[in-house]
Amino acid sequence: MLDFLQVSGQQDLISVISSLIWLLFLMIFFIYPSFSQRLQLSYILRDLERRLQRLKVMRDEVRGKTVEVLRKYSGDGVKVDEELDKLLLSFMIAPESMDPYGIVYKLEHIVNTWEDVFEEHVKLICTKADEAWSKTLTNLVEVARGMDYLYRVVRHYYLLGRRTANIYIVLQIQMLMPQIMEIAEAYRRACYAFTQGQPIGDGVGVLAVAKLVEGLEKKTYQVAKDTIVHEFEMDGRRVFVLRAAGPGGAVGRPADGLLKILESERDKVKAVIMIDAALKLEGEETGKVVEGIGAAIGGIGVDKFKIEEISKKMNIPLYAFAIYQSIGEAITPMKKSIAKAADEVVEKVKKLISSKVDEGFSVIVAGIGNTVGIGIS
Amino acid sequence: MLPRRRGVEEIPQPLTHLKCLECGTVNSRPFTGGDYVFKEVEERCPKCGASKMKIIGIYVEEERKTP
Repeated sequence: MLDFLQVSGQQDLISVISSLIWLLFLMIFFIYPSFSQRLQLSYILRDLERRLQRLKVMRDEVRGKTVEVLRKYSGDGVKVDEELDKLLLSFMIAPESMDPYGIVYKLEHIVNTWEDVFEEHVKLICTKADEAWSKTLTNLVEVARGMDYLYRVVRHYYLLGRRTANIYIVLQIQMLMPQIMEIAEAYRRACYAFTQGQPIGDGVGVLAVAKLVEGLEKKTYQVAKDTIVHEFEMDGRRVFVLRAAGPGGAVGRPADGLLKILESERDKVKAVIMIDAALKLEGEETGKVVEGIGAAIGGIGVDKFKIEEISKKMNIPLYAFAIYQSIGEAITPMKKSIAKAADEVVEKVKKLISSKVDEGFSVIVAGIGNTVGIGIS
Repeated sequence: MLPRRRGVEEIPQPLTHLKCLECGTVNSRPFTGGDYVFKEVEERCPKCGASKMKIIGIYVEEERKTP
Protein backbone atom coordinates (compact mmCIF):
# COMPACT_ATOMS: atom_id res chain seq x y z
CA MET A 1 0.00 0.00 0.00
CA LEU A 2 1.26 3.48 -1.01
CA ASP A 3 2.29 5.62 1.87
CA PHE A 4 0.49 8.99 1.86
CA LEU A 5 3.73 10.84 2.55
CA GLN A 6 5.47 9.27 -0.42
CA VAL A 7 3.69 11.51 -2.99
CA SER A 8 6.19 12.70 -5.60
CA GLY A 9 8.83 10.76 -3.81
CA GLN A 10 8.79 13.14 -0.86
CA GLN A 11 8.73 12.10 2.70
CA ASP A 12 7.61 15.17 4.73
CA LEU A 13 4.21 16.85 4.95
CA ILE A 14 5.38 20.32 3.80
CA SER A 15 6.70 18.94 0.55
CA VAL A 16 3.38 17.21 -0.09
CA ILE A 17 1.45 20.43 0.57
CA SER A 18 3.69 22.43 -1.75
CA SER A 19 3.24 19.80 -4.47
CA LEU A 20 -0.54 20.05 -4.06
CA ILE A 21 -0.41 23.87 -4.24
CA TRP A 22 1.54 23.63 -7.47
CA LEU A 23 -1.01 21.20 -8.83
CA LEU A 24 -3.78 23.67 -7.89
CA PHE A 25 -2.00 26.56 -9.67
CA LEU A 26 -1.52 24.37 -12.71
CA MET A 27 -5.24 23.56 -12.75
CA ILE A 28 -6.17 27.27 -12.38
CA PHE A 29 -3.83 28.08 -15.28
CA PHE A 30 -5.73 25.67 -17.56
CA ILE A 31 -9.25 26.36 -16.26
CA TYR A 32 -9.01 30.16 -15.90
CA PRO A 33 -9.18 31.13 -19.62
CA SER A 34 -12.64 29.64 -19.95
CA PHE A 35 -13.73 30.75 -16.50
CA SER A 36 -12.45 34.35 -16.55
CA GLN A 37 -14.93 35.57 -19.15
CA ARG A 38 -17.85 34.31 -17.08
CA LEU A 39 -16.41 36.08 -14.06
CA GLN A 40 -15.99 39.31 -16.01
CA LEU A 41 -19.48 38.95 -17.48
CA SER A 42 -21.01 38.64 -14.05
CA TYR A 43 -19.17 41.76 -12.88
CA ILE A 44 -20.33 43.78 -15.91
CA LEU A 45 -23.89 42.53 -15.56
CA ARG A 46 -23.93 43.52 -11.92
CA ASP A 47 -22.67 47.01 -12.82
CA LEU A 48 -25.23 47.32 -15.62
CA GLU A 49 -28.02 46.16 -13.32
CA ARG A 50 -27.16 48.88 -10.82
CA ARG A 51 -27.17 51.59 -13.48
CA LEU A 52 -30.31 50.22 -15.11
CA GLN A 53 -32.03 50.44 -11.74
CA ARG A 54 -31.01 54.10 -11.47
CA LEU A 55 -32.22 54.69 -15.01
CA LYS A 56 -35.56 53.14 -14.08
CA VAL A 57 -35.90 55.44 -11.08
CA MET A 58 -35.23 58.43 -13.35
CA ARG A 59 -37.63 57.14 -16.01
CA ASP A 60 -40.37 56.68 -13.40
CA GLU A 61 -39.72 60.16 -11.99
CA VAL A 62 -40.01 61.79 -15.43
CA ARG A 63 -43.09 59.73 -16.29
CA GLY A 64 -44.73 60.53 -12.95
CA LYS A 65 -44.05 64.24 -13.33
CA THR A 66 -45.43 64.18 -16.89
CA VAL A 67 -48.60 62.38 -15.83
CA GLU A 68 -49.07 64.84 -12.97
CA VAL A 69 -48.82 67.87 -15.27
CA LEU A 70 -50.95 66.36 -18.05
CA ARG A 71 -53.62 65.46 -15.49
CA LYS A 72 -53.72 69.09 -14.37
CA TYR A 73 -54.70 70.19 -17.87
CA SER A 74 -56.69 67.15 -18.98
CA GLY A 75 -60.39 67.05 -19.58
CA ASP A 76 -62.85 64.94 -17.57
CA GLY A 77 -62.84 61.22 -18.30
CA VAL A 78 -59.44 61.20 -20.02
CA LYS A 79 -57.29 58.26 -18.98
CA VAL A 80 -54.01 60.15 -18.88
CA ASP A 81 -51.87 57.08 -18.06
CA GLU A 82 -53.17 55.09 -21.00
CA GLU A 83 -52.91 58.01 -23.41
CA LEU A 84 -49.37 58.81 -22.28
CA ASP A 85 -48.32 55.19 -22.81
CA LYS A 86 -49.62 55.38 -26.38
CA LEU A 87 -47.52 58.49 -26.97
CA LEU A 88 -44.44 57.02 -25.33
CA LEU A 89 -44.55 54.00 -27.62
CA SER A 90 -45.45 55.90 -30.80
CA PHE A 91 -42.90 55.74 -33.59
CA MET A 92 -41.97 57.13 -36.97
CA ILE A 93 -40.73 54.99 -39.86
CA ALA A 94 -37.96 56.68 -41.82
CA PRO A 95 -38.38 56.56 -45.62
CA GLU A 96 -36.62 53.93 -47.71
CA SER A 97 -33.14 55.08 -48.72
CA MET A 98 -32.29 52.43 -51.32
CA ASP A 99 -33.11 55.03 -53.96
CA PRO A 100 -32.15 58.29 -52.21
CA TYR A 101 -33.68 60.59 -54.84
CA GLY A 102 -36.17 62.93 -53.16
CA ILE A 103 -35.62 61.37 -49.74
CA VAL A 104 -35.41 64.76 -47.95
CA TYR A 105 -38.93 65.73 -48.97
CA LYS A 106 -40.27 62.27 -48.11
CA LEU A 107 -38.61 62.56 -44.70
CA GLU A 108 -40.02 66.04 -44.25
CA HIS A 109 -43.51 64.81 -45.02
CA ILE A 110 -43.26 61.92 -42.57
CA VAL A 111 -41.71 64.02 -39.78
CA ASN A 112 -44.23 66.86 -40.20
CA THR A 113 -47.13 64.40 -40.14
CA TRP A 114 -45.75 62.68 -37.05
CA GLU A 115 -45.19 65.99 -35.24
CA ASP A 116 -48.69 67.19 -36.11
CA VAL A 117 -50.27 63.92 -34.96
CA PHE A 118 -48.22 63.97 -31.74
CA GLU A 119 -49.25 67.56 -31.01
CA GLU A 120 -52.90 66.84 -31.80
CA HIS A 121 -52.85 63.87 -29.42
CA VAL A 122 -51.44 66.01 -26.60
CA LYS A 123 -54.09 68.67 -27.29
CA LEU A 124 -56.79 65.99 -27.08
CA ILE A 125 -55.51 64.94 -23.66
CA CYS A 126 -54.95 68.48 -22.36
CA THR A 127 -58.10 70.27 -23.41
CA LYS A 128 -57.68 72.85 -20.64
CA ALA A 129 -54.27 74.03 -21.90
CA ASP A 130 -54.01 77.06 -24.16
CA GLU A 131 -52.12 77.00 -27.47
CA ALA A 132 -48.73 77.98 -26.01
CA TRP A 133 -48.99 75.55 -23.09
CA SER A 134 -50.07 72.64 -25.27
CA LYS A 135 -46.84 73.13 -27.27
CA THR A 136 -44.75 73.11 -24.11
CA LEU A 137 -46.63 70.01 -22.93
CA THR A 138 -45.87 68.35 -26.28
CA ASN A 139 -42.17 69.02 -25.60
CA LEU A 140 -42.60 67.54 -22.13
CA VAL A 141 -44.09 64.34 -23.56
CA GLU A 142 -41.21 64.18 -26.05
CA VAL A 143 -38.76 64.37 -23.14
CA ALA A 144 -40.64 61.58 -21.34
CA ARG A 145 -40.58 59.56 -24.57
CA GLY A 146 -36.83 60.05 -24.95
CA MET A 147 -36.22 58.98 -21.38
CA ASP A 148 -38.47 55.94 -21.73
CA TYR A 149 -36.73 54.89 -24.96
CA LEU A 150 -33.30 55.24 -23.36
CA TYR A 151 -34.35 52.98 -20.51
CA ARG A 152 -35.85 50.38 -22.85
CA VAL A 153 -32.73 50.24 -25.05
CA VAL A 154 -30.38 49.75 -22.09
CA ARG A 155 -32.72 47.12 -20.63
CA HIS A 156 -32.78 45.34 -24.00
CA TYR A 157 -28.98 45.03 -24.18
CA TYR A 158 -28.72 44.06 -20.52
CA LEU A 159 -31.28 41.27 -20.87
CA LEU A 160 -29.92 40.12 -24.23
CA GLY A 161 -26.39 39.98 -22.85
CA ARG A 162 -27.53 38.09 -19.77
CA ARG A 163 -29.64 35.59 -21.75
CA THR A 164 -26.95 34.83 -24.31
CA ALA A 165 -24.05 35.21 -21.82
CA ASN A 166 -22.37 37.30 -24.53
CA ILE A 167 -19.73 39.51 -22.99
CA TYR A 168 -19.33 41.61 -26.14
CA ILE A 169 -22.94 42.78 -26.07
CA VAL A 170 -22.82 43.89 -22.45
CA LEU A 171 -19.34 45.35 -22.87
CA GLN A 172 -20.55 47.73 -25.60
CA ILE A 173 -23.48 49.03 -23.58
CA GLN A 174 -21.30 49.28 -20.46
CA MET A 175 -18.82 51.47 -22.35
CA LEU A 176 -21.64 53.79 -23.41
CA MET A 177 -23.23 53.97 -19.97
CA PRO A 178 -21.45 57.13 -18.71
CA GLN A 179 -22.78 59.14 -21.68
CA ILE A 180 -26.20 57.50 -21.45
CA MET A 181 -26.46 58.39 -17.76
CA GLU A 182 -25.49 61.98 -18.57
CA ILE A 183 -28.21 62.21 -21.22
CA ALA A 184 -30.71 60.65 -18.81
CA GLU A 185 -29.85 63.24 -16.16
CA ALA A 186 -30.30 65.97 -18.78
CA TYR A 187 -33.74 64.55 -19.65
CA ARG A 188 -34.65 64.53 -15.96
CA ARG A 189 -33.73 68.21 -15.62
CA ALA A 190 -35.41 69.06 -18.94
CA CYS A 191 -38.62 67.54 -17.62
CA TYR A 192 -38.64 70.06 -14.74
CA ALA A 193 -37.87 72.93 -17.14
CA PHE A 194 -40.76 72.02 -19.44
CA THR A 195 -43.25 71.44 -16.63
CA GLN A 196 -42.72 75.06 -15.59
CA GLY A 197 -42.08 76.62 -19.00
CA GLN A 198 -38.53 77.78 -18.21
CA PRO A 199 -36.18 78.86 -21.04
CA ILE A 200 -33.61 76.21 -21.96
CA GLY A 201 -30.08 76.53 -23.34
CA ASP A 202 -31.19 75.62 -26.85
CA GLY A 203 -33.34 78.76 -26.93
CA VAL A 204 -30.35 81.11 -27.00
CA GLY A 205 -30.61 81.67 -30.77
CA VAL A 206 -34.22 82.80 -30.39
CA LEU A 207 -33.32 84.92 -27.36
CA ALA A 208 -30.58 86.66 -29.35
CA VAL A 209 -32.87 87.65 -32.24
CA ALA A 210 -35.59 88.68 -29.77
CA LYS A 211 -33.07 91.02 -28.14
CA LEU A 212 -32.03 92.31 -31.56
CA VAL A 213 -35.55 93.57 -32.29
CA GLU A 214 -36.49 94.60 -28.73
CA GLY A 215 -37.92 98.08 -28.54
CA LEU A 216 -37.75 98.68 -32.31
CA GLU A 217 -40.56 99.78 -34.60
CA LYS A 218 -41.34 96.62 -36.58
CA LYS A 219 -43.91 94.64 -38.51
CA THR A 220 -44.57 91.14 -37.12
CA TYR A 221 -46.38 88.37 -38.99
CA GLN A 222 -46.59 84.59 -39.23
CA VAL A 223 -44.71 83.10 -42.14
CA ALA A 224 -44.95 79.32 -41.54
CA LYS A 225 -46.27 76.98 -38.85
CA ASP A 226 -45.15 78.31 -35.43
CA THR A 227 -42.76 80.65 -37.24
CA ILE A 228 -42.87 84.44 -37.23
CA VAL A 229 -40.98 87.27 -38.89
CA HIS A 230 -40.13 90.72 -37.53
CA GLU A 231 -39.50 93.15 -40.36
CA PHE A 232 -37.75 96.45 -39.70
CA GLU A 233 -35.33 99.01 -41.08
CA MET A 234 -31.77 99.29 -39.76
CA ASP A 235 -29.43 101.97 -41.13
CA GLY A 236 -31.03 101.82 -44.57
CA ARG A 237 -31.11 98.01 -44.69
CA ARG A 238 -34.26 95.89 -44.52
CA VAL A 239 -33.90 93.24 -41.82
CA PHE A 240 -36.10 90.14 -41.64
CA VAL A 241 -35.79 88.42 -38.29
CA LEU A 242 -37.04 84.86 -38.41
CA ARG A 243 -37.83 82.86 -35.27
CA ALA A 244 -40.26 80.37 -33.75
CA ALA A 245 -43.21 81.92 -31.95
CA GLY A 246 -43.05 81.76 -28.16
CA PRO A 247 -43.46 81.51 -25.25
CA GLY A 248 -44.67 77.95 -25.81
CA GLY A 249 -42.07 75.30 -26.66
CA ALA A 250 -41.69 75.28 -30.44
CA VAL A 251 -38.88 75.28 -32.97
CA GLY A 252 -41.02 76.32 -35.92
CA ARG A 253 -40.19 75.70 -39.56
CA PRO A 254 -37.32 78.11 -40.28
CA ALA A 255 -36.57 76.75 -43.76
CA ASP A 256 -40.16 77.30 -44.93
CA GLY A 257 -40.09 80.81 -43.45
CA LEU A 258 -36.82 81.60 -45.17
CA LEU A 259 -38.13 80.35 -48.53
CA LYS A 260 -41.20 82.56 -48.23
CA ILE A 261 -39.11 85.66 -47.50
CA LEU A 262 -36.79 84.89 -50.40
CA GLU A 263 -39.78 84.41 -52.71
CA SER A 264 -40.92 87.97 -52.04
CA GLU A 265 -37.54 89.69 -51.64
CA ARG A 266 -35.61 87.78 -54.34
CA ASP A 267 -32.31 89.47 -55.32
CA LYS A 268 -32.55 92.09 -52.61
CA VAL A 269 -31.39 89.61 -49.94
CA LYS A 270 -27.60 89.83 -49.69
CA ALA A 271 -26.98 87.62 -46.65
CA VAL A 272 -28.57 85.05 -44.37
CA ILE A 273 -27.32 85.05 -40.78
CA MET A 274 -28.17 82.08 -38.60
CA ILE A 275 -27.78 81.89 -34.81
CA ASP A 276 -27.99 78.60 -32.97
CA ALA A 277 -26.72 76.71 -29.94
CA ALA A 278 -23.88 74.33 -30.78
CA LEU A 279 -22.42 71.37 -28.96
CA LYS A 280 -19.12 72.22 -27.32
CA LEU A 281 -16.24 69.85 -26.91
CA GLU A 282 -15.33 68.73 -23.41
CA GLY A 283 -13.19 71.41 -21.77
CA GLU A 284 -14.60 74.27 -23.83
CA GLU A 285 -16.28 77.23 -22.23
CA THR A 286 -20.08 77.30 -22.00
CA GLY A 287 -21.60 80.38 -23.64
CA LYS A 288 -18.65 81.07 -25.92
CA VAL A 289 -19.73 82.73 -29.17
CA VAL A 290 -18.02 81.54 -32.33
CA GLU A 291 -18.52 82.60 -35.94
CA GLY A 292 -18.51 80.52 -39.08
CA ILE A 293 -20.03 79.90 -42.46
CA GLY A 294 -22.95 77.61 -43.29
CA ALA A 295 -26.46 76.73 -42.15
CA ALA A 296 -26.43 76.74 -38.36
CA ILE A 297 -29.35 74.46 -37.69
CA GLY A 298 -29.68 71.02 -36.15
CA GLY A 299 -32.50 68.52 -36.28
CA ILE A 300 -32.93 65.73 -38.80
CA GLY A 301 -31.41 67.76 -41.64
CA VAL A 302 -34.49 68.74 -43.68
CA ASP A 303 -34.32 72.45 -42.82
CA LYS A 304 -30.54 72.48 -43.29
CA PHE A 305 -30.87 70.89 -46.73
CA LYS A 306 -33.56 73.32 -47.87
CA ILE A 307 -31.67 76.39 -46.64
CA GLU A 308 -28.43 75.24 -48.29
CA GLU A 309 -30.24 74.45 -51.52
CA ILE A 310 -31.93 77.84 -51.86
CA SER A 311 -28.88 79.82 -50.76
CA LYS A 312 -26.76 78.03 -53.37
CA LYS A 313 -29.39 78.56 -56.06
CA MET A 314 -29.65 82.28 -55.31
CA ASN A 315 -25.97 82.67 -54.46
CA ILE A 316 -26.63 84.13 -51.02
CA PRO A 317 -23.86 83.72 -48.42
CA LEU A 318 -24.74 81.93 -45.19
CA TYR A 319 -23.15 83.33 -42.04
CA ALA A 320 -23.40 81.47 -38.75
CA PHE A 321 -23.06 82.27 -35.07
CA ALA A 322 -22.86 79.37 -32.64
CA ILE A 323 -23.13 79.51 -28.86
CA TYR A 324 -21.28 76.65 -27.21
CA GLN A 325 -22.98 74.41 -24.67
CA SER A 326 -23.12 70.75 -23.73
CA ILE A 327 -25.98 68.43 -24.65
CA GLY A 328 -27.20 68.63 -21.06
CA GLU A 329 -27.07 72.42 -20.98
CA ALA A 330 -29.02 72.60 -24.25
CA ILE A 331 -32.14 70.97 -22.80
CA THR A 332 -31.98 72.16 -19.19
CA PRO A 333 -32.80 75.62 -17.75
CA MET A 334 -30.67 78.30 -19.39
CA LYS A 335 -27.43 79.20 -17.61
CA LYS A 336 -26.31 82.78 -17.03
CA SER A 337 -23.29 82.45 -19.34
CA ILE A 338 -25.56 81.30 -22.18
CA ALA A 339 -28.10 84.07 -21.57
CA LYS A 340 -25.31 86.67 -21.55
CA ALA A 341 -23.96 85.27 -24.83
CA ALA A 342 -27.20 86.43 -26.51
CA ASP A 343 -26.21 90.08 -25.88
CA GLU A 344 -22.78 89.46 -27.38
CA VAL A 345 -24.33 87.87 -30.48
CA VAL A 346 -26.64 90.88 -30.99
CA GLU A 347 -23.64 93.22 -31.23
CA LYS A 348 -21.81 90.87 -33.58
CA VAL A 349 -24.85 90.51 -35.84
CA LYS A 350 -25.24 94.30 -36.08
CA LYS A 351 -21.58 94.65 -37.08
CA LEU A 352 -21.88 91.86 -39.65
CA ILE A 353 -24.96 93.43 -41.22
CA SER A 354 -23.30 96.81 -41.60
CA SER A 355 -20.15 95.28 -43.07
CA LYS A 356 -21.67 92.70 -45.44
CA VAL A 357 -24.98 94.23 -46.56
CA ASP A 358 -25.05 97.50 -48.46
CA GLU A 359 -27.70 100.11 -47.84
CA GLY A 360 -30.89 99.53 -49.82
CA PHE A 361 -30.57 95.75 -49.62
CA SER A 362 -32.08 93.12 -47.28
CA VAL A 363 -30.76 90.57 -44.83
CA ILE A 364 -32.40 87.61 -43.10
CA VAL A 365 -31.44 86.87 -39.49
CA ALA A 366 -32.69 83.50 -38.26
CA GLY A 367 -32.72 82.64 -34.55
CA ILE A 368 -32.84 78.86 -34.28
CA GLY A 369 -33.94 76.93 -31.22
CA ASN A 370 -36.73 76.09 -28.83
CA THR A 371 -38.78 79.08 -27.69
CA VAL A 372 -40.00 77.67 -24.39
CA GLY A 373 -40.13 80.54 -21.89
CA ILE A 374 -39.17 83.18 -24.46
CA GLY A 375 -41.95 85.53 -25.49
CA ILE A 376 -42.21 87.94 -28.40
CA SER A 377 -40.30 91.17 -27.78
CA MET B 1 -8.07 61.75 -7.54
CA LEU B 2 -10.86 59.37 -8.54
CA PRO B 3 -14.05 60.93 -9.90
CA ARG B 4 -16.72 61.39 -7.28
CA ARG B 5 -19.70 59.07 -7.60
CA ARG B 6 -22.75 61.19 -8.24
CA GLY B 7 -26.11 60.65 -6.63
CA VAL B 8 -29.40 62.21 -7.69
CA GLU B 9 -28.57 65.87 -8.19
CA GLU B 10 -30.64 68.80 -7.01
CA ILE B 11 -32.27 70.70 -9.85
CA PRO B 12 -31.21 74.36 -9.69
CA GLN B 13 -34.06 76.83 -9.94
CA PRO B 14 -33.64 79.83 -12.24
CA LEU B 15 -34.04 83.45 -11.21
CA THR B 16 -36.38 85.83 -13.00
CA HIS B 17 -34.77 89.21 -13.73
CA LEU B 18 -37.15 92.13 -14.02
CA LYS B 19 -36.66 95.70 -15.22
CA CYS B 20 -38.83 98.54 -14.04
CA LEU B 21 -40.53 100.26 -17.00
CA GLU B 22 -40.41 103.60 -15.15
CA CYS B 23 -36.92 103.91 -13.65
CA GLY B 24 -35.06 101.03 -15.32
CA THR B 25 -34.04 99.36 -12.07
CA VAL B 26 -33.23 95.69 -12.48
CA ASN B 27 -34.01 93.24 -9.71
CA SER B 28 -34.49 89.50 -9.46
CA ARG B 29 -36.65 86.97 -7.68
CA PRO B 30 -37.10 83.16 -7.88
CA PHE B 31 -38.87 81.94 -11.00
CA THR B 32 -42.62 81.43 -10.69
CA GLY B 33 -44.95 79.55 -13.03
CA GLY B 34 -46.18 81.69 -15.92
CA ASP B 35 -43.00 83.79 -16.17
CA TYR B 36 -41.43 84.17 -19.59
CA VAL B 37 -38.85 86.50 -21.09
CA PHE B 38 -40.30 89.82 -22.38
CA LYS B 39 -43.51 89.40 -20.38
CA GLU B 40 -44.82 92.55 -18.75
CA VAL B 41 -45.91 91.90 -15.19
CA GLU B 42 -47.73 93.91 -12.58
CA GLU B 43 -45.15 93.94 -9.81
CA ARG B 44 -43.98 96.77 -7.62
CA CYS B 45 -40.51 98.20 -8.32
CA PRO B 46 -38.44 98.07 -5.11
CA LYS B 47 -36.87 101.45 -5.94
CA CYS B 48 -39.52 103.78 -7.38
CA GLY B 49 -42.66 101.83 -6.47
CA ALA B 50 -44.03 101.72 -10.06
CA SER B 51 -46.26 98.74 -10.73
CA LYS B 52 -45.18 97.71 -14.25
CA MET B 53 -42.09 95.62 -14.82
CA LYS B 54 -40.75 93.60 -17.72
CA ILE B 55 -39.01 90.24 -17.47
CA ILE B 56 -35.65 90.66 -19.20
CA GLY B 57 -34.11 87.31 -18.39
CA ILE B 58 -34.69 83.92 -16.81
CA TYR B 59 -31.57 81.94 -16.07
CA VAL B 60 -29.73 79.82 -13.56
CA GLU B 61 -26.85 81.44 -11.70
CA GLU B 62 -23.80 79.27 -12.17
CA GLU B 63 -21.79 77.94 -9.29
CA ARG B 64 -18.43 79.66 -8.95
CA LYS B 65 -15.57 77.31 -9.61
CA THR B 66 -12.90 77.21 -6.92
CA PRO B 67 -9.48 78.00 -8.39
